Amino acid sequence: MAKFHPELDLLTEYAAGSLSLAQAACVAAHMNYCEQCRRTAGQLEDLGATLFDSLQPEAVGDVQLNAVLARLDDLPPLSYTKVEQPLAGQTPALLQRLMRGDFADLVWKKITKTLSISYLSTGDPGYEFALYHIKAGGKIPEHTHRGSEMTLVLEGGFSDANGSYHQGDFLFREPSDVHAPTALQSEDCICLAVLDAPLKFTSWKHRWMNPFLSLRAG
Amino acid sequence: MSEQQEGKSDQWKAPSGRRTDEWSECLNLIAANEDRAAFTRLFRHFAPLIKAFALSGSNLSATVADELVQEVMLKVWQKAGAFNPEKAAASTWVYTIARNCRTDMFRRLQKFDTPLAADDVSPEQEGEEPFSQLQSRRSRERVREMMKELPADQAQILAKVYMEGKSHAEAAGELDLPLGTVKSRVRLALQKLQIQMESYSYG
Repeated sequence: MAKFHPELDLLTEYAAGSLSLAQAACVAAHMNYCEQCRRTAGQLEDLGATLFDSLQPEAVGDVQLNAVLARLDDLPPLSYTKVEQPLAGQTPALLQRLMRGDFADLVWKKITKTLSISYLSTGDPGYEFALYHIKAGGKIPEHTHRGSEMTLVLEGGFSDANGSYHQGDFLFREPSDVHAPTALQSEDCICLAVLDAPLKFTSWKHRWMNPFLSLRAG
Repeated sequence: MSEQQEGKSDQWKAPSGRRTDEWSECLNLIAANEDRAAFTRLFRHFAPLIKAFALSGSNLSATVADELVQEVMLKVWQKAGAFNPEKAAASTWVYTIARNCRTDMFRRLQKFDTPLAADDVSPEQEGEEPFSQLQSRRSRERVREMMKELPADQAQILAKVYMEGKSHAEAAGELDLPLGTVKSRVRLALQKLQIQMESYSYG
């Protein structure tokens, strides 16, 4: 079960529908693993409904009602797919759709000996939405962020100076937090990372790469 | 508003004797019999709220707002079969449909090209455990009562975030406040409304 969660203000923006698409998709993917956050988001949606119920109504005439009633006949027959309860340990359906397959089917770009990145397209022009594959025991060179970074562990796990993170754990890093995540020794780690500005490697050994790390948003 | 008026729908009794509310019952009638009278009742209640929601804090024209009303109400009709009164409150369910339709509409207007619909990212919630109507109604009544007690600055931020769909950063920009102030007002408001997470560590 996930131990690290989005803060309440992120969940509030998620429930209010005011979070950017890429970030909302990452929070949604975390909730796939986390019943507590699903519950909290439900409460926050109840709050939204309470605010909605107390809006000052705007007049809607019978013309509108009749127009809608007339359109009911044109609708395809009632059909809906039941929302599947997320299965523990499974890659969130939302990501499977964006990946159009499995991790193995993706194009991975090799960054270092132990780190490869695969960029997924959400259509959100403000954020890069990418999967990071770190080999077991591999290290992401120490880096800082020019913007914010959301990370969600999908497979395996990693640790940094602040703790160790496993499947379903969610991290939010503000600009200028410096860290050097290392994958667990036992297995490869796959994470989802959502960035609004490129990473910036801090060590002299990797700094030369910085100019090549442009944001791949969209 | 008097408690009597406010509680009208709450005191409505389903034929089964199980306490439910008028809007859940309308949704069930639509799902079972494509009941247009029930749909009309829902429309008269929710359409004016959806229109108000469409117009809050946005520069949508009245025509586009009317379009959104139609879109949401058609979705309500189509999805009624997926509504489960044991697991969700009808007003929350309608609100989340309206929220998602509005998000999709904004993205269409901005020519945002995405493979994801708002529904994919924030589907209507299905509660985990059978949801207690009574308990949830109590908690919503409590929230509604406590909302009246909120200081104006906190209520204003909640309205911006929820009804106008503004991010905390956008709200801060519009109100000319530091982002930290906006966040702490949201936090204080949620604390007063007793919405919180269980003991947590944040990533």
